[in-house]
Amino acid sequence: MTKGVLLFCFDTADVQYHKILERCVGLIKKNLKLEITVVTDFNTFSKLEPLGFVNYKFIEPELGNTKHGLEWRNVDRHMAYDLSPYDTTLVMDIDYFPFTDNLKKFLDTKYDFLISKHAYDLTSRNSFDMRRFSMIDMVWATVFIFKKGHKAERIFEMVRYVKSHYQYFMDLYRVRDRRFRNDYAFAVALEQANGFISYDTLPIKLPTLPPDCKVIELNDHGIVWQYNDQINHIQHQDVHVLNKEIANV
Amino acid sequence: MDIGELKKQSDLSYDIAIAKRNALEKVHSRLVVVYNEHIFRADSQTICLVKTMGDNYPAPIYMLDTNGNPVEISDPVDFLKTLIQRNQEAISSYHQMSKTFEKRGD
Repeated sequence: MTKGVLLFCFDTADVQYHKILERCVGLIKKNLKLEITVVTDFNTFSKLEPLGFVNYKFIEPELGNTKHGLEWRNVDRHMAYDLSPYDTTLVMDIDYFPFTDNLKKFLDTKYDFLISKHAYDLTSRNSFDMRRFSMIDMVWATVFIFKKGHKAERIFEMVRYVKSHYQYFMDLYRVRDRRFRNDYAFAVALEQANGFISYDTLPIKLPTLPPDCKVIELNDHGIVWQYNDQINHIQHQDVHVLNKEIANV
Repeated sequence: MDIGELKKQSDLSYDIAIAKRNALEKVHSRLVVVYNEHIFRADSQTICLVKTMGDNYPAPIYMLDTNGNPVEISDPVDFLKTLIQRNQEAISSYHQMSKTFEKRGD
Protein backbone atom coordinates (compact mmCIF):
# COMPACT_ATOMS: atom_id res chain seq x y z
CA MET A 1 0.00 0.00 0.00
CA THR A 2 1.57 3.27 -1.10
CA LYS A 3 0.86 6.50 0.77
CA GLY A 4 1.67 10.06 -0.11
CA VAL A 5 0.69 13.71 -0.22
CA LEU A 6 -0.78 15.36 -3.31
CA LEU A 7 -0.45 19.14 -3.68
CA PHE A 8 -1.77 21.51 -6.34
CA CYS A 9 0.25 24.64 -7.10
CA PHE A 10 -0.19 27.21 -9.87
CA ASP A 11 1.33 30.69 -9.81
CA THR A 12 -0.95 33.54 -10.83
CA ALA A 13 -0.16 37.07 -11.92
CA ASP A 14 -0.79 38.25 -8.34
CA VAL A 15 0.47 35.49 -6.07
CA GLN A 16 3.69 33.51 -6.25
CA TYR A 17 2.21 30.30 -4.96
CA HIS A 18 5.45 28.42 -5.66
CA LYS A 19 7.03 30.22 -2.70
CA ILE A 20 4.25 28.97 -0.44
CA LEU A 21 4.75 25.47 -1.87
CA GLU A 22 8.44 25.53 -0.99
CA ARG A 23 7.59 26.21 2.67
CA CYS A 24 4.87 23.57 2.72
CA VAL A 25 7.03 20.84 1.15
CA GLY A 26 9.77 21.43 3.74
CA LEU A 27 7.29 20.96 6.59
CA ILE A 28 5.74 17.84 5.03
CA LYS A 29 9.17 16.27 4.72
CA LYS A 30 10.09 17.21 8.27
CA ASN A 31 6.86 16.34 10.07
CA LEU A 32 4.76 13.99 7.94
CA LYS A 33 7.67 12.17 6.30
CA LEU A 34 5.57 11.11 3.34
CA GLU A 35 6.26 10.98 -0.38
CA ILE A 36 5.04 14.11 -2.19
CA THR A 37 3.54 14.65 -5.64
CA VAL A 38 2.97 18.20 -6.87
CA VAL A 39 0.46 18.93 -9.62
CA THR A 40 1.62 22.07 -11.38
CA ASP A 41 2.31 23.73 -14.73
CA PHE A 42 5.65 24.38 -16.44
CA ASN A 43 5.60 28.10 -15.64
CA THR A 44 5.31 27.48 -11.89
CA PHE A 45 7.75 24.58 -11.99
CA SER A 46 10.41 26.71 -13.68
CA LYS A 47 10.47 29.10 -10.69
CA LEU A 48 10.77 26.45 -7.98
CA GLU A 49 13.93 26.03 -5.94
CA PRO A 50 15.19 22.42 -5.89
CA LEU A 51 12.98 20.61 -3.37
CA GLY A 52 14.72 17.25 -3.17
CA PHE A 53 12.76 14.12 -3.98
CA VAL A 54 9.35 15.32 -5.15
CA ASN A 55 7.25 13.91 -8.02
CA TYR A 56 5.71 16.37 -10.45
CA LYS A 57 2.64 16.00 -12.64
CA PHE A 58 2.06 18.68 -15.23
CA ILE A 59 -1.36 19.86 -16.28
CA GLU A 60 -2.78 23.01 -17.80
CA PRO A 61 -4.91 24.54 -15.03
CA GLU A 62 -8.49 25.42 -15.82
CA LEU A 63 -8.88 29.19 -15.73
CA GLY A 64 -11.76 31.52 -15.06
CA ASN A 65 -12.33 31.47 -11.32
CA THR A 66 -11.65 34.58 -9.20
CA LYS A 67 -11.47 35.47 -5.51
CA HIS A 68 -11.69 39.08 -4.33
CA GLY A 69 -11.08 40.18 -7.92
CA LEU A 70 -7.88 38.14 -8.26
CA GLU A 71 -7.32 35.08 -10.39
CA TRP A 72 -7.88 31.86 -8.41
CA ARG A 73 -6.68 28.60 -9.94
CA ASN A 74 -8.46 26.15 -7.71
CA VAL A 75 -10.81 24.20 -9.97
CA ASP A 76 -8.67 21.14 -10.68
CA ARG A 77 -9.04 19.43 -7.31
CA HIS A 78 -11.60 17.00 -8.75
CA MET A 79 -8.71 15.42 -10.70
CA ALA A 80 -6.95 14.31 -7.52
CA TYR A 81 -8.19 10.73 -7.84
CA ASP A 82 -6.75 10.30 -11.35
CA LEU A 83 -3.56 12.25 -10.69
CA SER A 84 -2.56 10.58 -7.44
CA PRO A 85 0.01 7.78 -7.84
CA TYR A 86 -0.76 6.50 -4.31
CA ASP A 87 -3.19 3.93 -2.91
CA THR A 88 -3.93 6.27 0.01
CA THR A 89 -3.58 9.98 -0.62
CA LEU A 90 -3.55 13.02 1.61
CA VAL A 91 -4.60 16.04 -0.44
CA MET A 92 -3.64 19.36 1.10
CA ASP A 93 -3.79 23.01 0.17
CA ILE A 94 -0.24 24.35 -0.04
CA ASP A 95 -1.15 27.06 2.47
CA TYR A 96 -1.88 24.40 5.09
CA PHE A 97 1.35 24.15 7.05
CA PRO A 98 1.81 20.85 8.90
CA PHE A 99 3.84 21.76 11.97
CA THR A 100 2.90 18.37 13.49
CA ASP A 101 2.46 14.79 12.33
CA ASN A 102 -1.25 14.89 13.26
CA LEU A 103 -2.51 14.17 9.74
CA LYS A 104 -0.26 11.19 9.11
CA LYS A 105 -2.24 8.77 11.25
CA PHE A 106 -5.38 9.26 9.15
CA LEU A 107 -3.71 7.44 6.27
CA ASP A 108 -3.90 4.25 8.35
CA THR A 109 -7.66 4.03 8.73
CA LYS A 110 -10.14 1.80 6.93
CA TYR A 111 -12.07 4.80 5.61
CA ASP A 112 -12.28 5.43 1.87
CA PHE A 113 -12.78 9.17 2.15
CA LEU A 114 -12.30 11.53 5.10
CA ILE A 115 -12.72 15.28 5.19
CA SER A 116 -13.28 17.83 7.95
CA LYS A 117 -16.44 19.89 8.42
CA HIS A 118 -14.90 22.35 10.83
CA ALA A 119 -12.28 25.06 10.87
CA TYR A 120 -11.05 26.78 13.98
CA ASP A 121 -10.37 30.52 13.92
CA LEU A 122 -7.02 31.12 15.63
CA THR A 123 -8.06 34.68 16.44
CA SER A 124 -11.14 33.41 18.34
CA ARG A 125 -13.58 35.42 16.21
CA ASN A 126 -15.45 32.33 15.02
CA SER A 127 -15.11 33.54 11.40
CA PHE A 128 -15.57 30.11 9.90
CA ASP A 129 -19.02 29.17 11.05
CA MET A 130 -20.35 28.61 7.52
CA ARG A 131 -23.50 26.69 8.42
CA ARG A 132 -25.84 29.64 8.06
CA PHE A 133 -24.61 30.41 4.52
CA SER A 134 -26.14 27.32 2.91
CA MET A 135 -28.66 24.56 3.45
CA ILE A 136 -25.95 21.92 3.82
CA ASP A 137 -22.86 21.63 5.97
CA MET A 138 -19.80 22.94 4.18
CA VAL A 139 -16.70 20.76 4.26
CA TRP A 140 -13.13 22.06 4.16
CA ALA A 141 -11.47 20.63 1.05
CA THR A 142 -8.25 22.13 2.43
CA VAL A 143 -7.35 18.68 3.73
CA PHE A 144 -8.85 15.34 2.76
CA ILE A 145 -7.79 11.74 2.58
CA PHE A 146 -8.95 9.12 0.13
CA LYS A 147 -8.19 5.51 -0.57
CA LYS A 148 -8.41 4.35 -4.15
CA GLY A 149 -11.43 2.12 -4.70
CA HIS A 150 -15.03 2.16 -5.89
CA LYS A 151 -16.34 4.42 -3.14
CA ALA A 152 -13.72 7.16 -3.54
CA GLU A 153 -13.95 6.94 -7.33
CA ARG A 154 -17.73 7.42 -7.11
CA ILE A 155 -17.28 10.47 -4.88
CA PHE A 156 -14.85 12.08 -7.34
CA GLU A 157 -17.19 11.31 -10.25
CA MET A 158 -19.91 13.06 -8.29
CA VAL A 159 -17.62 16.05 -7.64
CA ARG A 160 -17.06 16.34 -11.41
CA TYR A 161 -20.81 16.18 -11.98
CA VAL A 162 -21.44 18.87 -9.35
CA LYS A 163 -18.70 21.01 -10.89
CA SER A 164 -20.26 20.77 -14.35
CA HIS A 165 -23.68 21.85 -12.93
CA TYR A 166 -22.26 24.08 -10.22
CA GLN A 167 -24.72 26.99 -10.35
CA TYR A 168 -27.68 24.60 -10.31
CA PHE A 169 -26.43 22.92 -7.12
CA MET A 170 -25.60 26.27 -5.50
CA ASP A 171 -29.19 27.35 -6.17
CA LEU A 172 -30.58 24.04 -4.97
CA TYR A 173 -28.71 24.21 -1.66
CA ARG A 174 -29.05 28.01 -1.42
CA VAL A 175 -25.32 28.58 -1.10
CA ARG A 176 -24.58 32.27 -0.66
CA ASP A 177 -21.04 32.18 -2.08
CA ARG A 178 -21.33 32.14 -5.90
CA ARG A 179 -17.68 31.51 -6.76
CA PHE A 180 -16.58 27.99 -7.48
CA ARG A 181 -15.38 26.56 -4.20
CA ASN A 182 -14.08 23.02 -3.80
CA ASP A 183 -15.50 23.12 -0.29
CA TYR A 184 -19.05 23.26 -1.60
CA ALA A 185 -18.39 21.01 -4.61
CA PHE A 186 -17.20 18.27 -2.23
CA ALA A 187 -19.94 19.01 0.32
CA VAL A 188 -22.66 18.57 -2.31
CA ALA A 189 -20.98 15.52 -3.84
CA LEU A 190 -20.63 13.82 -0.46
CA GLU A 191 -24.22 14.60 0.38
CA GLN A 192 -25.42 13.17 -2.94
CA ALA A 193 -23.10 10.16 -3.00
CA ASN A 194 -23.94 9.16 0.57
CA GLY A 195 -27.70 9.10 0.29
CA PHE A 196 -28.38 12.56 1.78
CA ILE A 197 -27.91 11.27 5.31
CA SER A 198 -24.39 11.44 6.68
CA TYR A 199 -20.82 10.59 5.83
CA ASP A 200 -17.60 9.88 7.66
CA THR A 201 -15.52 12.89 8.62
CA LEU A 202 -12.20 13.77 10.20
CA PRO A 203 -12.82 14.58 13.87
CA ILE A 204 -10.58 17.63 13.81
CA LYS A 205 -11.08 21.34 13.36
CA LEU A 206 -8.58 22.80 10.91
CA PRO A 207 -6.72 25.63 12.72
CA THR A 208 -7.12 28.57 10.36
CA LEU A 209 -5.73 32.09 10.31
CA PRO A 210 -8.18 34.56 8.71
CA PRO A 211 -7.06 36.63 5.70
CA ASP A 212 -6.89 39.88 7.69
CA CYS A 213 -4.05 38.51 9.83
CA LYS A 214 -0.59 39.40 8.63
CA VAL A 215 2.00 36.68 9.09
CA ILE A 216 5.18 38.24 10.47
CA GLU A 217 7.31 35.16 10.85
CA LEU A 218 7.17 31.58 9.62
CA ASN A 219 9.81 29.14 10.85
CA ASP A 220 10.23 25.39 11.28
CA HIS A 221 8.16 25.30 14.46
CA GLY A 222 5.28 27.72 13.98
CA ILE A 223 4.13 31.16 12.93
CA VAL A 224 3.80 34.65 14.40
CA TRP A 225 0.98 36.88 13.17
CA GLN A 226 -0.40 40.34 13.68
CA TYR A 227 -4.07 41.21 13.86
CA ASN A 228 -4.80 44.90 14.47
CA ASP A 229 -2.31 45.81 17.20
CA GLN A 230 -2.20 42.29 18.63
CA ILE A 231 0.68 39.93 18.01
CA ASN A 232 0.20 36.23 18.65
CA HIS A 233 1.92 32.99 17.80
CA ILE A 234 1.49 29.24 17.71
CA GLN A 235 4.06 26.48 17.76
CA HIS A 236 3.80 22.80 16.93
CA GLN A 237 0.23 23.18 15.70
CA ASP A 238 -0.89 22.84 12.07
CA VAL A 239 -2.22 26.02 10.51
CA HIS A 240 -4.12 27.01 7.38
CA VAL A 241 -3.03 30.53 6.41
CA LEU A 242 -5.55 32.42 4.27
CA ASN A 243 -3.48 35.58 3.76
CA LYS A 244 -1.52 34.94 0.56
CA GLU A 245 1.04 37.59 1.50
CA ILE A 246 2.69 34.69 3.28
CA ALA A 247 4.46 34.04 -0.03
CA ASN A 248 6.58 37.11 0.77
CA VAL A 249 7.39 36.31 4.42
CA MET B 1 -4.32 52.94 37.59
CA ASP B 2 -4.72 55.18 34.53
CA ILE B 3 -6.70 54.24 31.42
CA GLY B 4 -3.52 53.48 29.46
CA GLU B 5 -2.44 50.91 32.03
CA LEU B 6 -5.94 49.42 32.10
CA LYS B 7 -5.90 49.04 28.30
CA LYS B 8 -2.48 47.43 28.49
CA GLN B 9 -3.72 44.92 31.06
CA SER B 10 -6.83 44.25 29.02
CA ASP B 11 -4.79 43.63 25.86
CA LEU B 12 -2.50 41.29 27.74
CA SER B 13 -5.45 39.35 29.16
CA TYR B 14 -6.92 39.09 25.65
CA ASP B 15 -3.63 37.77 24.25
CA ILE B 16 -3.37 35.20 27.02
CA ALA B 17 -7.00 34.13 26.60
CA ILE B 18 -6.49 33.56 22.85
CA ALA B 19 -3.23 31.70 23.41
CA LYS B 20 -4.97 29.50 25.97
CA ARG B 21 -7.88 28.71 23.63
CA ASN B 22 -5.46 27.85 20.82
CA ALA B 23 -3.45 25.64 23.15
CA LEU B 24 -6.62 23.84 24.22
CA GLU B 25 -7.59 23.33 20.59
CA LYS B 26 -4.13 21.90 20.00
CA VAL B 27 -4.81 19.40 22.80
CA HIS B 28 -8.09 18.36 21.17
CA SER B 29 -6.31 17.73 17.85
CA ARG B 30 -3.58 15.78 19.57
CA LEU B 31 -6.05 13.60 21.50
CA VAL B 32 -7.24 11.95 18.27
CA VAL B 33 -5.73 8.50 17.79
CA VAL B 34 -6.06 5.83 15.14
CA TYR B 35 -6.30 2.30 16.52
CA ASN B 36 -7.25 -0.83 14.64
CA GLU B 37 -7.90 1.33 11.52
CA HIS B 38 -10.52 3.41 13.33
CA ILE B 39 -10.45 6.88 14.84
CA PHE B 40 -10.92 7.54 18.56
CA ARG B 41 -10.46 10.41 20.99
CA ALA B 42 -8.12 9.68 23.87
CA ASP B 43 -10.32 11.70 26.20
CA SER B 44 -11.42 10.90 29.74
CA GLN B 45 -14.72 9.39 28.56
CA THR B 46 -13.06 6.89 26.21
CA ILE B 47 -10.38 6.02 28.76
CA CYS B 48 -12.95 5.40 31.51
CA LEU B 49 -15.12 3.31 29.18
CA VAL B 50 -12.24 1.11 28.03
CA LYS B 51 -10.99 0.69 31.60
CA THR B 52 -14.46 -0.22 32.87
CA MET B 53 -15.16 -2.61 29.99
CA GLY B 54 -11.72 -4.19 30.26
CA ASP B 55 -12.18 -4.77 34.00
CA ASN B 56 -15.71 -6.11 33.81
CA TYR B 57 -16.20 -7.78 30.46
CA PRO B 58 -14.17 -10.51 28.74
CA ALA B 59 -12.21 -9.52 25.61
CA PRO B 60 -12.97 -8.72 22.89
CA ILE B 61 -14.89 -5.56 23.70
CA TYR B 62 -16.83 -3.49 21.16
CA MET B 63 -16.55 0.28 20.86
CA LEU B 64 -17.92 3.01 18.63
CA ASP B 65 -15.36 5.15 16.81
CA THR B 66 -15.72 8.91 16.20
CA ASN B 67 -17.96 8.25 13.18
CA GLY B 68 -20.24 5.92 15.14
CA ASN B 69 -18.92 2.75 13.53
CA PRO B 70 -18.50 -0.37 15.68
CA VAL B 71 -14.99 -1.70 16.27
CA GLU B 72 -13.83 -4.94 17.85
CA ILE B 73 -11.02 -4.36 20.34
CA SER B 74 -9.33 -7.69 20.93
CA ASP B 75 -6.75 -6.35 23.38
CA PRO B 76 -8.34 -3.72 25.66
CA VAL B 77 -5.21 -3.48 27.79
CA ASP B 78 -3.09 -2.44 24.80
CA PHE B 79 -5.80 -0.02 23.65
CA LEU B 80 -6.02 1.53 27.12
CA LYS B 81 -2.24 1.96 27.20
CA THR B 82 -2.34 3.75 23.82
CA LEU B 83 -5.15 6.05 24.97
CA ILE B 84 -3.47 6.95 28.26
CA GLN B 85 -0.13 7.61 26.59
CA ARG B 86 -1.66 9.98 24.07
CA ASN B 87 -3.85 11.67 26.68
CA GLN B 88 -0.93 12.38 28.97
CA GLU B 89 1.38 13.45 26.14
CA ALA B 90 -1.18 16.02 24.97
CA ILE B 91 -2.14 17.33 28.40
CA SER B 92 1.40 17.48 29.79
CA SER B 93 2.36 19.58 26.76
CA TYR B 94 -0.59 21.88 27.56
CA HIS B 95 0.52 21.98 31.20
CA GLN B 96 3.99 23.18 30.19
CA MET B 97 2.49 25.79 27.92
CA SER B 98 0.12 27.03 30.62
CA LYS B 99 3.14 27.99 32.74
CA THR B 100 4.13 30.51 30.07
CA PHE B 101 0.62 32.02 30.29
CA GLU B 102 1.05 32.43 34.05
CA LYS B 103 4.42 34.14 33.53
CA ARG B 104 2.94 36.54 30.98
CA GLY B 105 0.12 37.37 33.38
CA ASP B 106 2.41 38.12 36.34
